[in-house]
Parts: sequence; structure tokens; C-alpha cells
Amino acid sequence: MSTAPLIHVVDDDSAMRTALLRLLDAAGFEARGYSSTGDFLVQPLPDRPGCLLLDLRLPGPSGLELQAALERQGIMLPIVFLTGHADVASSVRAMKAGAVDFLTKPVKRDTLLDAVQRALARDATQRAAREGADRLHVRFASLTPRQREVFDRIVAGKLNKQIADELGIAERTVKREREQVMAKLDANSAADLGRLAELLQRPTAR
Amino acid sequence: MAHALITALVLCSFAVPLRAAEEEARVLMLYGLDPYLPPMLAMDKAMRANLASETDRRITFFSEALDSQRFAMEGLEPETVALLAKKYSTLRIHVVVAVSRTALDFFERHGEQLWPGARVVFVGFLGYEFRPPALPPGASAVLSILDVAGTIDIARRLQPGADRIVVVSGVAEVDRRAEQQAREALAKLDERAPVEFLSGLPLPELEPRVAAEPPDSIVIYLAQFRDRDGRPYEPHDVLRTVVKASRAPVYGAVETLIGLGAVGGSVASYESRGRLIGEQVGRALAGGPPDPSRTVLAAPNRCVADARALQRWSLDAGRLPNGCEIRFKEVPIWRQYWWQIALTLAIVAGQAMLIGALLSQRRRRRLAEQAEQAQRAELARASRLTMAGELTGAIAHEINQPLGAILSNADAADLMLDSGMDRRDELRAILADIRRDDVRASEVIQRLRDLLGQQKLERKEFDLNEVVSELESIIRAEARRRGVGLEVRRAPGTLAIMGDRVQIQQVLLNLVLNAMDAVAEVPEARRTIAVSVAKGENGAVLAVRDRGRGIAPEHRTKLFESFFSTKPTGMGLGLSITRTIVEAHGGRIWVESGPGEDTVFQAELPLTMASGASSPHPA
Repeated sequence: MSTAPLIHVVDDDSAMRTALLRLLDAAGFEARGYSSTGDFLVQPLPDRPGCLLLDLRLPGPSGLELQAALERQGIMLPIVFLTGHADVASSVRAMKAGAVDFLTKPVKRDTLLDAVQRALARDATQRAAREGADRLHVRFASLTPRQREVFDRIVAGKLNKQIADELGIAERTVKREREQVMAKLDANSAADLGRLAELLQRPTAR
Repeated sequence: MAHALITALVLCSFAVPLRAAEEEARVLMLYGLDPYLPPMLAMDKAMRANLASETDRRITFFSEALDSQRFAMEGLEPETVALLAKKYSTLRIHVVVAVSRTALDFFERHGEQLWPGARVVFVGFLGYEFRPPALPPGASAVLSILDVAGTIDIARRLQPGADRIVVVSGVAEVDRRAEQQAREALAKLDERAPVEFLSGLPLPELEPRVAAEPPDSIVIYLAQFRDRDGRPYEPHDVLRTVVKASRAPVYGAVETLIGLGAVGGSVASYESRGRLIGEQVGRALAGGPPDPSRTVLAAPNRCVADARALQRWSLDAGRLPNGCEIRFKEVPIWRQYWWQIALTLAIVAGQAMLIGALLSQRRRRRLAEQAEQAQRAELARASRLTMAGELTGAIAHEINQPLGAILSNADAADLMLDSGMDRRDELRAILADIRRDDVRASEVIQRLRDLLGQQKLERKEFDLNEVVSELESIIRAEARRRGVGLEVRRAPGTLAIMGDRVQIQQVLLNLVLNAMDAVAEVPEARRTIAVSVAKGENGAVLAVRDRGRGIAPEHRTKLFESFFSTKPTGMGLGLSITRTIVEAHGGRIWVESGPGEDTVFQAELPLTMASGASSPHPA
């Protein structure tokens, strides 16, 4: 899996698109162009770090609509909007929906590259978080059903004795399972387990 | 005093009264002189005119000319008589008008033989008969008087200081009689100035002789039928020569001389003589004994002068005797034709006033029209500015798009140069793109300037398809901005119309923006508009269709009125201006719609000849 970022440029204006791709290329980025939101959506999205340079107004579904669609699909590609004419309503909507930036054409190189860098940085952060969560899930999956029951009760703040009572097992058994869970999840304390539970979206004590 | 001469006479040795009124009356004109002399013609004309009114009988005229002045009668008489006897042997003549003494003499000698029973009317012609001839029984006479004394009197009045009198005459028999009469008149006149008679001078001699007369002499021209060498003349021609040569005024005592250059004289008019002759002939035809008191008649003499001759010799017309007839007066044309002129002037003046009024009216109307047109153009421009305001987003997009591309291309080029690699081909491509985008941006700006600039109305031929093409990018940008679907259809071929391109663009923009407004609130699926150009029955049709909520019937009639709007912020001018523009181009605009149906605004504009020919799809 390549780790070099790929920048997606969606703009129906071929001149603009070509110019942006050239600029990104010259700035050392790998970039790919699309003439419409549909064009973008039908292409397979490689699992690479990257960001989306999105024209606000496009024929068919607009940039904002693509933003909403990606959000729904859980595609966390950071978006930098580009527009020929920015109106307040659109920019507010875009930023609220999590856009990295909202740029007006003609856009200066530094502004554009800076926005791209920030978008890539955000992507990196998001990817890192996502990878951490993925690893946690793998580890969690290695727990036995008994160990998961113990885990849930630990993060619920229960004592070994209470757990043993609830599960109808020996307190010593609980202790052994607890050590196993801590080792498998690479946790040092009950507090660590609580944080992991949140990441795993396991029910926690209310 | 004037001497008159008279003659007359006639007889009726045995008067032959004409029997039946229905019988044709035959009158023979027997001329002793040339019947075509002007006095003869004048008299003949007056006589005939008068005779026609004297009798209702049909009169046939015959004429014979002895022309004794130019042909000596002596040798010819037997032959003449023989000829006439033969000519008239079976033709009965009722009245013979014997013109001149020669004719009367001839009649006395041969009348009984040639024209038995005919009564004679003697016409003492040219007035040179100064003794009453013995008239045959039953005859009557019309005489004229050669009033030399009266003529000299007139000359004296005009030239009181004249110290010479020259009398020009010929040597023919009539010439001599006239000269004799003149001598007698002068003898009685107590004329102090010397009088010289130039009798029978050949023209080449007469001419310098007259020309040598000092300007203050009096020249009296009697008549010259023949010079001393026996050469015959037409007396009027001689007068013309005399008048032309003479520095002194020339007078004449015969009416026909007045008008040929003579100043004037005391003359008997042919008109009055003709009347008297007619009267006598009429009476003779009627038969019965002649009226003794009317046997010998003489036409009165009176003063006649020629205004042109008076002027030529600088004579004062005011000195002429009272009642003198001044002929050939150059009556000022306005006096002669005063009412025609007045009428003409009135008509011309009337026309001029009418034309002036119409011109001024037209000018006023044109000024008003210009003002109105300017106002309309200004209003249309204001409306375009308003539309431009609505289109700001689309316009900015259309301009910023190429500008953005240019900037990014330039930045890319910059980076490429920094990289130190040889990327010449790419740089060249970039420069080409920059140029293209620059042109694209400036075209948008140019189109906006056309649309918004303060310019004069144009009248040029252009293709309606092109109008749509030119605005398509902006319309598309606006449609995208508003999230409105747009369909554009052009007509095949050329749809050439005549008029102001910008105004037609305005019509298109107005209809498109209205349509976009109309679909703003409808569900996304229906949020589309369609612009089409097609050839219709009566011209090019520009149609804009939307799938909005439609127009209520009660609004449809008011749509194109000023200040009517169904939009909350509408001024109500757009469609009114649109209609004004379309109608100014000779077209019409209408809308088809109902609640819940598609709304179609259609503007039909007349095609020029060119497009009719080039359109591949005739209607």
C-alpha cells in the first residue's frame, strides 16, 4: 500500500482542472482530475492518504451534495472547496459540514498548497486514529467470550468479587481473565480499559 | 380735319329679291388687291363673323382676286372676263362685295354680264378713295377714311418740337391717291415745319434716306405698293424696313400698321368696318330697296398707338389724345392675370403653410419620438443593469474560472522552472492555455460591456442563434448557481433578424431569469428550464419554457404591463420592457401557461430576407 498522498480534483471546467493538476504536480503532489461528482463517485477510491479539491458548483450534483454523500458513506476524505463566486450561505454550509477550507478562484498558490497541506494533515490524523481503532478491534476480537464479559464489567467499574458473583465463577478465575484482557488489549489499568471501551463503543457505565 | 372719302353705291337695276329663305345665299368677294394683305384678312374675318349673326341663311362665299396693284389689268381683262364668265355661267351670285375701287370699276364694266342680278356692296379699301364714286343703282358702300390730318395731329402732340415732316409713299395708283389726300390735308393744317415727300423710292434708296432723318423728325408712312421703277411691294414690309431704319418716330394711318412698329395714328378699325360690311351684305341679301340713309357708311376713325413703339422712341403716352387706345401695352403680368396669380399665390402660400405646419409637426413628433426612444433605451439599460446585478454570481464565476486557471497555470510554470528540469513542452502548453483563458475572460467582459455599456441603438442584421450562443455560458453559470437544469436548443441554419443585438440579448436574459425565478421553489426534479430558437410561421421564435407553478389566468393579461409583478421584490418592468423591445423589432411576445402547466414565453421576431433564403427548413 502506497503511502504517498493522492489529491482528487473535481472541477467541470477543464481549463481550471488542468491548471490545478499541473500546479499540484509541479508542487510534487500526485493528483487526479474528475469532471463531475458522478465521475468521482464511479471511480474506485484507492485507500491512500489524500484530500479532495472540490468545485462548489458542478453540473448535476454540486460539491456540497458530494460532501454530504461522502459523509454518509463514511468516507473521511478532507475537502477543500474551490469556487468562482463565494456566497456566504454556501461557505457556511460547507464549513459546518467539515470542509477544511473554502477558497475563491482565482486562488493563490500558497493559499491553495497550504490548504492542501492542512487537508492532508487532517487526513493523516484521521487515518492514524482510524488505524489505532482498527488495531484495537483486532485485539478485542482475540478475547474469549468469557474475557469480553469480564471486560464489560471491568469498564462498568465492578469489582472482581462482584464480577465473580454475576458470572458465577471463582474470583480467582476473574483475576486470571482480567490479566489476560489487560495483556491482550495492551492496557495497564482499568482507566486504560475505560478509554478503549469508548473507542470500541462498548456500553460503558452510565 | 380728316377728309373722308366715300363711295358706295349700288344698284338694283332690277332688284332680284331672294325668294326662298331656304335658298343658299351666294356672296362673291371681288378683290381688286391681294386678298391676303393683312387688312384684307382682318376685314374678311370681321365681316364673316358679323354676317353669321345678321342672317340665319346659309351663305357660301366665293372669291376672285384681280390683284390690280401688282398685275396691270389692261392686258388681262378680256381673259379674266372670259374665265369668270365660264366659271359663273351656271352659278347665280346674289351679292358681290367689291373690295377697292378697281373691283368696283370692274363690276361696273362686267357685273351685268358675269353676275346678272347681283347687288353690289362696295368696300372702299385702305381708305384711299377720297371722292365718293358714282355708285350703281341699288348699291351700297362702306368707306374708310385715310385720316392723314388726324395722324399728323397725333404726331404733333407727341413731338411738339419736331421741325421736319417726312411722308413716305409709293407710286401705285392707290399710293398716289393716298399721297394726294395727304398733301391736301397738310395744306389745310397750317403746318409750319417743312414737309418732304419720299415717293416711290426703291427700298435700297429709301432705307438710308430714312436713316439719315434726325431723331426729332416726324415720319408718316402712307403705303407703298410700287416704287418708281415699277417694283411691287407689300406695303407692310416697306413699313417694317422704314421703322427699322428710322431714328425718328414713324406714324401710320392704317390699322394694320400699328403693331408692326409704327407709333400710331388715326385709324379706322377693320373690326368696325367688317361689321358695317356684314350689315350691308345682310341687307342686300334680304332684298328690297336700299335704305337711302344707310347707303354710304364710314367706319369712325380713332386714335390707336403702340406702347412698344412709344417706348422705343421715348415718347410720352400721356400726351396722346384722350381715349386713345394704346395697344401692346405690356400689362404687368400680375394685373393681367391678377386673380389667377392671386389664386396661385394663395394656393402656394396655403401649401407652404401646410407644408410648414406638417414639417414642424413632424419635427415635433420626431423629437418626441426621439425623447421617448431615448427614455426607452435608458429604461432598458437600467433594466439590464438590474439583471446584471442578479447575474453577479454567474458573471463572477464566468470570469474567475479562466482567471483561476491562468493563475494556477502561472504558478505551476513557476514551480516547474524552480525544479530545474527541462519541461519546455509543458511550459509551452501552459502558455497556450494561459492565452486561451485570457481571451475567454476578456470575451466575457466584452459581452458584459456590450450588454451594460451606454451605447446607441443599432440596426444590424444578426443571427438569433448567435445571441443564444453568446449568453449561453453566463446562463449556464447562473443555472448551476441556482441549481436549475438548463436545456438549450438552437435552430438549424441561420435565423437572421434585423435590429439591436443587445436588446434581443436582454429579451433572452429577462425571460431566462424569470423562468429561473419561476422554478426556484419547485421540487428539484422539476427545476429545469428550456431555451429554444426555432423558425416559426411568421419569423424566428425565441421560446423559454419553465416547469414552474404556472401563471394564473387573471395575471396573464397583466403580465406585460409596467409595474405589474408577481414577485415579492419585482419592479414589474422587465416584461414590459421586453415587450417594448420585441414590438420595436416588429415582433410580438406572448405566453402560454396555466396553473400546474409548463409556462412558455415566446417572442416572435420577423426574419430578414437573407434568412428566408438560407434556412434549410422553410416553414
